[in-house]
Amino acid sequence: MPNTYGNRTLTEWLTLVLGVVIVLVGLFFVIGGAQLAMLGGSVYYLICGVVLVASGVFMVLGRTLGAFLYLGALAYTWVWSLWEVGFSPVDLLPRDFGPTLLGILVVLTIPVLRRLETRRTLRGAI
Amino acid sequence: MRRSHLLATAACVTLACAPLAANAQFAPAGSGGSPTASVPGPGNADEPTATTPASTSRFSGPSPYAPQAAGVNAANLPDIGSMDPNDVPQMVPQQSAAPAQGDWSAYGRDDSQTRYSPLSEITPQNADQLKVAFVYHTGSYPRPGQTNKWAAETTPIKVGDGLYMCSAQNDIMKLDPATGKEIWRHNINEKYEAIPYTAACKGVTYFTSSQVPEGQPCHNRILEGTLDMRLIAVDAATGNLCEGFGHGGQVNLMQGMGESVPGFVSMTTPPPVVNGVVVVNHEVLDGQRRWAPSGVIRGYDAESGKFLWAWDVNNPNDHSQPTGNNHYSRGTPNSWAAMTGDNALGLVYVPTGNSASDYYSALRSPEENKVSSAVVALDVKTGAPRWVFQTAHKDVWDYDIGSQATLMDMPGPDGQPVPALIMPTKRGQTFVLDRRDGKPILPVEERPAPSPGVIPGDPRAPTQPWSTGMPALRVPDLKETDMWGMSPLDQLFCRIKFRRANYTGEFTVPSVDKPWIEYPGYNGGSDWGSMSYDPQSGILIANWNITPMYDQLVTRKKADALGLMPIDDPNYKPGGGGAEGNGAMDGTPYGIVVTPFWNQYTGMMCNRPPYGMITAIDMKHGQKVLWQHPLGTARANGPWGLPTGLPWEIGTPNNGGSVVTAGGLVFIGAATDNQIRAIDEHTGKVVWSAVLPGGGQANPMTYEANGHQYVAIMAGGHHFMMTPVSDQLVVYALPDHKG
Repeated sequence: MPNTYGNRTLTEWLTLVLGVVIVLVGLFFVIGGAQLAMLGGSVYYLICGVVLVASGVFMVLGRTLGAFLYLGALAYTWVWSLWEVGFSPVDLLPRDFGPTLLGILVVLTIPVLRRLETRRTLRGAI
Repeated sequence: MRRSHLLATAACVTLACAPLAANAQFAPAGSGGSPTASVPGPGNADEPTATTPASTSRFSGPSPYAPQAAGVNAANLPDIGSMDPNDVPQMVPQQSAAPAQGDWSAYGRDDSQTRYSPLSEITPQNADQLKVAFVYHTGSYPRPGQTNKWAAETTPIKVGDGLYMCSAQNDIMKLDPATGKEIWRHNINEKYEAIPYTAACKGVTYFTSSQVPEGQPCHNRILEGTLDMRLIAVDAATGNLCEGFGHGGQVNLMQGMGESVPGFVSMTTPPPVVNGVVVVNHEVLDGQRRWAPSGVIRGYDAESGKFLWAWDVNNPNDHSQPTGNNHYSRGTPNSWAAMTGDNALGLVYVPTGNSASDYYSALRSPEENKVSSAVVALDVKTGAPRWVFQTAHKDVWDYDIGSQATLMDMPGPDGQPVPALIMPTKRGQTFVLDRRDGKPILPVEERPAPSPGVIPGDPRAPTQPWSTGMPALRVPDLKETDMWGMSPLDQLFCRIKFRRANYTGEFTVPSVDKPWIEYPGYNGGSDWGSMSYDPQSGILIANWNITPMYDQLVTRKKADALGLMPIDDPNYKPGGGGAEGNGAMDGTPYGIVVTPFWNQYTGMMCNRPPYGMITAIDMKHGQKVLWQHPLGTARANGPWGLPTGLPWEIGTPNNGGSVVTAGGLVFIGAATDNQIRAIDEHTGKVVWSAVLPGGGQANPMTYEANGHQYVAIMAGGHHFMMTPVSDQLVVYALPDHKG
C-alpha cells in the first residue's frame, strides 16, 4: 500500500500546512459567503470558497490540481475585484493583497506537488 | 487628494506592509472611556408591554421635584440673587472685539470666532524650521485607580502679557507667553466625581470691567465655567477670586436645576460675554434618563454675577429663577458647544443639542421639537429667542451641534455685506445664515427623509434640511463594496455586518429588532473643533470625520440585562456605560447601544478609508472646494491598536479644529496620529509636522510675544479617540536668529 505521508521532506510538510490553511480560509468563505448571499450580498465569497476548499483538499492529498484550482480562484478574485472597485489601490488592498501573497506560496508548492505526484505514480507502477 | 494618497498606498503595497497598514481609529480594549464593542444583534424584538415585569433590582429614579441634595456639587454655594437685565451696566469695549495683532483674546481669537490670526512670521517657506519653544504641564491627568475620562481640549487665550488657560479639571493659570513660566495658578479643587463623560475645559473668557477702575483688582477678569457647575471670576493680574462677583468670586450654577448628581451636568466651554451679560450653557450627560436635569441657558451680570434671565424651553414665558421647590424644566435640549456672542445685534447664538434620551423622541414637547439640534439666537436683554434655525428635525441620531458658529460677512444681493453666521454640523451640512433673522443666505432644501419609521408612537419627520449651496462634508451613502479590512476575511465579516443592519442612507430610522447604520456618525462631519475662516482670502477651513456608527435600540428588559443604568442609579459603575450615547434612556421604553461601525475583533473601522478629511472652501467665489485631502497618518494606528509607524496619510478620525494665519498657513492637530501639522492654506500641502507627547485633540492657537510668533496646542489626548493622554501644552516657534 503506497504511503503518501511517510518520509516527508520539510517542503512537503509546508505544502500540507498551506493546503490546510487554504481549506480553513475556504470554509470561512463558504460559511460567511452563504450568509452574505442569503442577506442579498455578493455571491463571490461563496463561489470562491467552494473552489478554495477543493483546492486545499487536493493540495493536502498532494495533487497538483489543488494548486491550479487556487490560481484559478485567484484569477477569479482579481477579475471580480477589478469589476467591483476598478483600479483603486486602497480598495484592491483587502480583496487581492492577501490572496496574491498566498498565491505566490502556492506557486512555490507546484514543484513539490509534482514530485509527490511522480512518487505516487512510481509507487503505483511498482 | 489624491495623488499622494494613492502613491503612498501603492508604495505600501509594494513594500508588502499592507496587512498592517491600514486602519485608524478607535482601537479596541482599554479603559472605560473606550467604545462599546458590539450591539446585541437580532432577536431583540420583544416589544415592552404593560405586563413586562419591571426588574425589581432596578433603581427607580429620584423624583424630579427633589431639590439638589446638599453636598452634591463642589461649590455648595448660597443662592445668588436676581437683578433686572435693564440695570446691567454699559459694557466697555472688550479685548476680544478688536484683539491686538499678536493677541488671541477669545476661544476663537475674536468675537467673530474666526480662528484667524493676522500674524505672518511663520510662512509655508519657513514652517519646517519650527521647534518646541516650551512645554507647560497642567498637572491634570488620570491618577491610578481613576478611569481615563480625560480629553483636555483646551485652547489658551493670549491677552497682553499673559497666556491664560485652564487644566482639564478647571484649575486656572496665567503663563508668560514667551517662556511658559507660570505667573499665577488658581486651583479650584474640583473632585474627580465631577467629571462627566469627559474632563475637558475648552478655555476661559477675558472680561474687562466697566465698574472696577483700571489698576484695581478685577478690572480685568478671567471667567470660567467648571465641570462641577460653578461660574468663577478671578483677577487677571493675580489669579485671586473677584470678591465682588457672586459669592466671593463664584456662582453656583446648580441653582434651580433640581435633583442631580456630580458628573450629570457640566460646563466645558468658555462662556461668552455679550453687552455685559455672561451667558452659560452646559452639557447634560447623554442617554441617562428622559427626565435628566434641564438644558436651560442662563444670563448673568458679568460685573456682579447676579442672575438676569433664563431660557427654559418648556417654560418659554418665564425667564426668572425658580424659587422654592421648583426647578427648570427637565429633559430639555442641552447645549454643550461653545456659544458665539454678537454685541451689535445683542444676540448670543446657541448651538443646541437634543432633548434627554437622544434616540427616542415620543416624549418630547412641541417646544423642544422646535429648538433641538438647532442654532437659537437669544436676545441677551431678555433671554427670549429672536430666531431659530433647525439643522435636524426630531433628531434621534445624536446630531446635536458640537461646533461653534463663526461670524462673517457675505456679499448681499445689492452688494452690501450681510452679517452672516456659519453653522457647521455633525451631518457635514454647513448652514450659512443671516444672523439678523436666521434666514438661509445660501440655499437650504427640505428633502424627504425616511418616515415614519418603525418605533410605535414615535414617527420621524417627513423632511430634513440640506444646505445645497455649500459643499457637503461627507462621502456618498455607504455600499457593501465600501467595506474594508486587512484581508478578504475581515472584509467579509464587515460585509455581513453591513447587510445585517437596517440602512437606507442618511436618517435611517432607529430600530429595535436589528441594528441600524448611522452615517454621518455622531462624531461628525464637523464636531467641536468648529471651522476657521480667513476673512482676507475668504477661505474656510473644515476638518471632518467619516465614522459611521452601528446602533440598536434595546427593550427595557434587555437594557437592564446589559447593565445600562443612569448615572444617578446607586448601582451605576463609572465608565461602565461605555461610549457616549450608550445608555439606559430611563423613563422611555428603550435603552440604546451605540458602537462604532467597526470590526470589534480587530478594532478597524468597517468602511474604507479615509476616516478623516480636511477641506478648504472658497467662500468668496461660489463656495467651491479649493482642496481636500485625508487628514492624519497611520503611524499611531493599526489593527488591534498596534501602531504601524507608517507615514501613509490614510485619514484618521479627528477631534479639534484649525487655525488659519495671514502667513498663509493652517495649523491643526486633531487626527489620531498625535501630530500637529502646518498646511499651506492655498494648496493644501502639508509643509511641517511634529509628533506631540499626547493626542492633539484640541484647537491650536497662535500669538506673538517678544516680536516672535508662537503656535500652541494642548496635547491632552482624548479617551474616546484612544489617543495618549498628557497634561502638556506644547508651544512652537521659529529658532531665534538673534540669539
